[in-house]
Amino acid sequence: MSTRPIPIAERTVQFTVNGRQVELTVPVRRTLADALRDDLGLTGTHLGCEHGVCGACTILLDGQAVRSCLLLAVQADGRAVRTVEGLSDGDRLHPLQEAFWEAHGLQCGFCTPGFLMTLVPFLEEHPHPTEDEIREAIAGNLCRCTGYVNIIKAVRLAAAKLAGAGHAG
Amino acid sequence: MKPAPFLYVAPRTVEEAVALLQEHGTDAKLLAGGQSLMPLINMRLARPEVLVDLNEVRTLDYITEVDGEVRIGAMTRQRAVERSPFVATHVPLLSEALRWVGHPQIRNRGTIGGSLAHADPSAELPAVAAALDAVFVARGPDGVRLLAPGEFFVSFLTTALEPAEMLVEVRFAVPSAPAGCAFLELSRRHGDFALVGAAAVVRLDSGRCRDVRLALTGVGPTPVRVREVEEALLDQPPTEARLADLSRGIGPRLDPVSDIHASAEYRRHVAGVLARRALAAAAARAQAVGGGEDSPS
Amino acid sequence: MTGLAGTNPFMGRPLRRREDPRLLRGEGRYLSDIALPDMLDLAIIRSPHAHARLIRVETAAARAAPGVATVVSGMDLAVGSIEPVFSGDGYHGAAQPPLARDRVRFVGEPVAVVAAGNRYLAEDAADLVEVAYEPLPAVISAEAARKPDAPLIHDSVPSNCFFRYDHAYGDVASAFAAAPVVVRGTFRHQRLAGAPMEGRGIVAAWDHDRLTVWASTQTPHMLRTGLARSLGIPEDAIRVVVPDVGGGFGPKMHLYPEDLVACALARTIGRPVRWIEDRRENLLAMTQAREQVVNAALAADRDGRILALQADVTCDSGAYSVYPITAALEPMGSAQILPGPYRVPAYAYTTQAIATNKCPVGAYRGVGMTVGVFVMERLMDRLAAAVGSDPAEIRRRNLIPDDAFPYTAPTGLVYDSGRYGDTLEAALAAFGYAEARREQARAREQGRLVGVGVAAFVEYTGMGPATFARRGMRDVPGSDSAYITVDEAGRARVLLSCPSQGQGHETVFAQLAAGELGLEFEAVTVSAVDTDTVGAGSGTFGSRAVVSGGGAVVRAARAVRAKAIDVAAHLLEAPRDDVVIADGWFHVRGSLGRGLSWPEVARAAHTPGLLPHDMEPGLQAAFTYNPPPAAFGSGVHVSLVEVDRETGLIKVLRYAIAEDCGPMINPLLVEGQTHGGLAQGLGEAFLEEVCYDESGQVLTQTLMDYLIPTAVDMPPVTLAHLETPSPTTVHGVKGVGESATIGAPACLANAVSDALGQDADTLPVTPQRILAWSRQRAFREAGV
Repeated sequence: MSTRPIPIAERTVQFTVNGRQVELTVPVRRTLADALRDDLGLTGTHLGCEHGVCGACTILLDGQAVRSCLLLAVQADGRAVRTVEGLSDGDRLHPLQEAFWEAHGLQCGFCTPGFLMTLVPFLEEHPHPTEDEIREAIAGNLCRCTGYVNIIKAVRLAAAKLAGAGHAG
Repeated sequence: MKPAPFLYVAPRTVEEAVALLQEHGTDAKLLAGGQSLMPLINMRLARPEVLVDLNEVRTLDYITEVDGEVRIGAMTRQRAVERSPFVATHVPLLSEALRWVGHPQIRNRGTIGGSLAHADPSAELPAVAAALDAVFVARGPDGVRLLAPGEFFVSFLTTALEPAEMLVEVRFAVPSAPAGCAFLELSRRHGDFALVGAAAVVRLDSGRCRDVRLALTGVGPTPVRVREVEEALLDQPPTEARLADLSRGIGPRLDPVSDIHASAEYRRHVAGVLARRALAAAAARAQAVGGGEDSPS
Repeated sequence: MTGLAGTNPFMGRPLRRREDPRLLRGEGRYLSDIALPDMLDLAIIRSPHAHARLIRVETAAARAAPGVATVVSGMDLAVGSIEPVFSGDGYHGAAQPPLARDRVRFVGEPVAVVAAGNRYLAEDAADLVEVAYEPLPAVISAEAARKPDAPLIHDSVPSNCFFRYDHAYGDVASAFAAAPVVVRGTFRHQRLAGAPMEGRGIVAAWDHDRLTVWASTQTPHMLRTGLARSLGIPEDAIRVVVPDVGGGFGPKMHLYPEDLVACALARTIGRPVRWIEDRRENLLAMTQAREQVVNAALAADRDGRILALQADVTCDSGAYSVYPITAALEPMGSAQILPGPYRVPAYAYTTQAIATNKCPVGAYRGVGMTVGVFVMERLMDRLAAAVGSDPAEIRRRNLIPDDAFPYTAPTGLVYDSGRYGDTLEAALAAFGYAEARREQARAREQGRLVGVGVAAFVEYTGMGPATFARRGMRDVPGSDSAYITVDEAGRARVLLSCPSQGQGHETVFAQLAAGELGLEFEAVTVSAVDTDTVGAGSGTFGSRAVVSGGGAVVRAARAVRAKAIDVAAHLLEAPRDDVVIADGWFHVRGSLGRGLSWPEVARAAHTPGLLPHDMEPGLQAAFTYNPPPAAFGSGVHVSLVEVDRETGLIKVLRYAIAEDCGPMINPLLVEGQTHGGLAQGLGEAFLEEVCYDESGQVLTQTLMDYLIPTAVDMPPVTLAHLETPSPTTVHGVKGVGESATIGAPACLANAVSDALGQDADTLPVTPQRILAWSRQRAFREAGV
């Protein structure tokens, strides 16, 4: 039996964000969303409800879409985080971002990063999604502006772009 | 909406976790996937002194078959179980029910054990466990004990787990013969907690029910097994008329709550409807997998 | 297409939005992204009681908590209350203190505030503030508030009635007495939350005696006016800057207690402060909407031609009358829009705003109009049934004909333009109405409950000063301003008073300005709204930005263009009337020369030596535009729904909308507004409801309980556009932001009613209500 770990109030953690290694010392109660936004200045991750319903804070943790308001920053230790800021390739928008632009898939833009981060792994797994699959995939992201019509259109467009470009995502 | 202060600890083994629970008692709270607990912590409706994060306990993340049972570690992500072909083959009701749990982002993080131990009677997994007579494996300072669903689920958000005990595994018996199953639920908005849900399993032999399981969500303080209907169907063909007749009797026996989304009366009514539909769907699938006329047994 | 795009080559073009790349990269800058050096975060302590006397606020423990700069209660805060100005009869206002002083009047009302190093610490300290209350009887419905012995919510509001207005046009009583057909009903519309994905928020910083505010607001100028009044400082001591705003939908047009608290604390502490509304606060204390009961009746002849309309409108307005539009807006709007697109020879209404111990009711997409349309369109379906007519036909029979414009409605509103018959036919065609009716007949044969719903409506958009003055809403100027500058390189910058909350202002206003100036679209930039750069205006609400802000931009651009032509005429040595701009070049009409490029003219305009002695250098113009009283948009919605008869669950199978917002500036954005409006209308019809218990506790404090539609809930939708220009607005444009929200609840309620054969007169239409209605029908048919 190992030595029993001791509960602590503050902890130093290391993880990567969009490929960059970061180290933070945070109070253990700090959510990952707040750490990304306030400690790392990555304000593209938005807080719309802080209780796991709206999906605006969706990020990728080790490649999987998760709600960053329901994670503690300390739980990111040793993991890979990807946020909306890591999507585009320099000046070049990700094909999904391009598709949202082209299809008018956003209005106020507040929910948009969460949609994008939900959809990146979805399109990797479903390169040719049906409309029902798309609706299901984004049902955990609330948008109050678009009525989702053009978001769905954008996802189809993105799938076509990604298929055409042989994009690896 | 920010968490109140707490102390945090991330044990790496079950032994460490149990020792921490023993040391901190009711001041400690276990954190699994966090999809139910973290909202409560953010809203300061839960204020644990010590948060014991189980996400570093890697030994609790597995799906295996042992002695005719599918065993799933408590920290196995719901998404992993949902996608497991092994689970789909041997515990199809679980695979089907998982698709109703929240949304993909929730299931990516949420765990099997977390959902069961949270014991929300509106949730899907407790009803699946109840329908399948799952075995709950609890680990405490004095070792392991096994609990049946009827023992494990005590009341609304309450289980039989002792303060220093944790759920480490859940076991589902692999059925000896093919059966049909169905999970249905009704919510006002997709992905929300169900107003009512129904989990059904039907095994047919020569067109007659040999094994019937029916469990409901959202109609009481724990998942509700409807044994009267199960027994009434035994050795009977699951005809439409019979299912309709039996289902009508379900509602009046239930005691659900009223809330802003539905009245108790509505829940009682819909419980009967969903029970009938789930049983019919399960029976139709049982038929399809060879439980129809004169299947070899 | 109607060819009404005018002379602006950028009108009608579906250009991709300027703002998108930044928002898509996560580089938008919303209120909560603003962090100033030394800034403090606020946490508000709110009333847990719907109605109580405030006895004592104990802050000592909170003050001693880590990271706390100050803790303040209402007794310690020397800031004036919020009290909108209303001129007119029948109104009794009430002051809303920034922090409760002696009484609390709704659950969620601010009582005290903590300023601390961050929000975590602020909330820790807020937990330590102890407040003693003496509960008072709470009044939780308008019905209870109107009882003679009801407790008074404000001493200044007799009978708990904020506002009452009675109106009569024509001889309504005689018409009803003589009419062969009368239909009537009682219609209940729930309370809604605007619930933008970004809550409200404010950052306040003082530099000596000057206050700078960043606010997630729709109305920076009216916010400035309200702040100045309550803080007791001149307006020019305040600068309001609007960052990216994550949705508004109406509630972000009000002045709130938290705004005053933030500004006051920043001054007393001497550090910038930030308040970010979290979702629970948003669902407790951001203004809510609608909540009305309407008794209404329609009299008609045997052919279903309307003879008279009568309505009694009661709004549960909550605890305070909101700044700047007052509690009158919602019930007045409903009463005024009720006659809709129909010829109504006589109309009488009574409308009231009643105070209760609930969150104040304010503006929300479709304010007033959605309820009025719901009531009228339910009555029209009843009328169709009463005379044995098809719902589409009964509407066709009553629509105001094209040659009747401008048409003065029995409310006194003047409808400027429209083609209501064409709009109806366009919607029916887009939907495939005849086929849908056949589909419905087939479905019914199979025992399925399938219904078709139709709803027609008009909406006032882009209201100008005359309308707000007539309504008594003195705090709303009704005008908007633009300021356009062209620099030496020939690049234009547009500043205006209407901020965007997602509507795409950086794009549409660039289209308007570029077209007027004869510049490339790429050469025009639209800036964020800042009250220091554009001094006056009303803001973005009530579907007004393209009408009012657009009018200002076009007029300012025309002034700049005129000046540029003066400069070019001088340089080209030609009479100014002969100088034209084409493809970015200034030419002398009929000459073959290459002319002057825009940058050449711009450079000259900024070089005094190149100009005539009597010409001022520079290329800029400011214009404050008074829009007409209103430009009336219109629309028709049609839907097909199926109801599960056993569970009451509803599925919308398909949906079509024909809308007429005049010439479209950017069709892509019009469609986006229409889709989004439909989603909100669908939520209103089926999902959304703010619920209170009998003690006034809010039961919908999370997005798990307040149900916003998801992608799975939205039906496939077909749109048709008509572009009937308004004769009163620049380019004939009309607003469109609220359109689809106004039509959808009525259309969906009608479809469900058609499916059930039972009137769906209460919103939201929930599965539980459907089963209850079905049972009523079964009893009726069984003769019970």
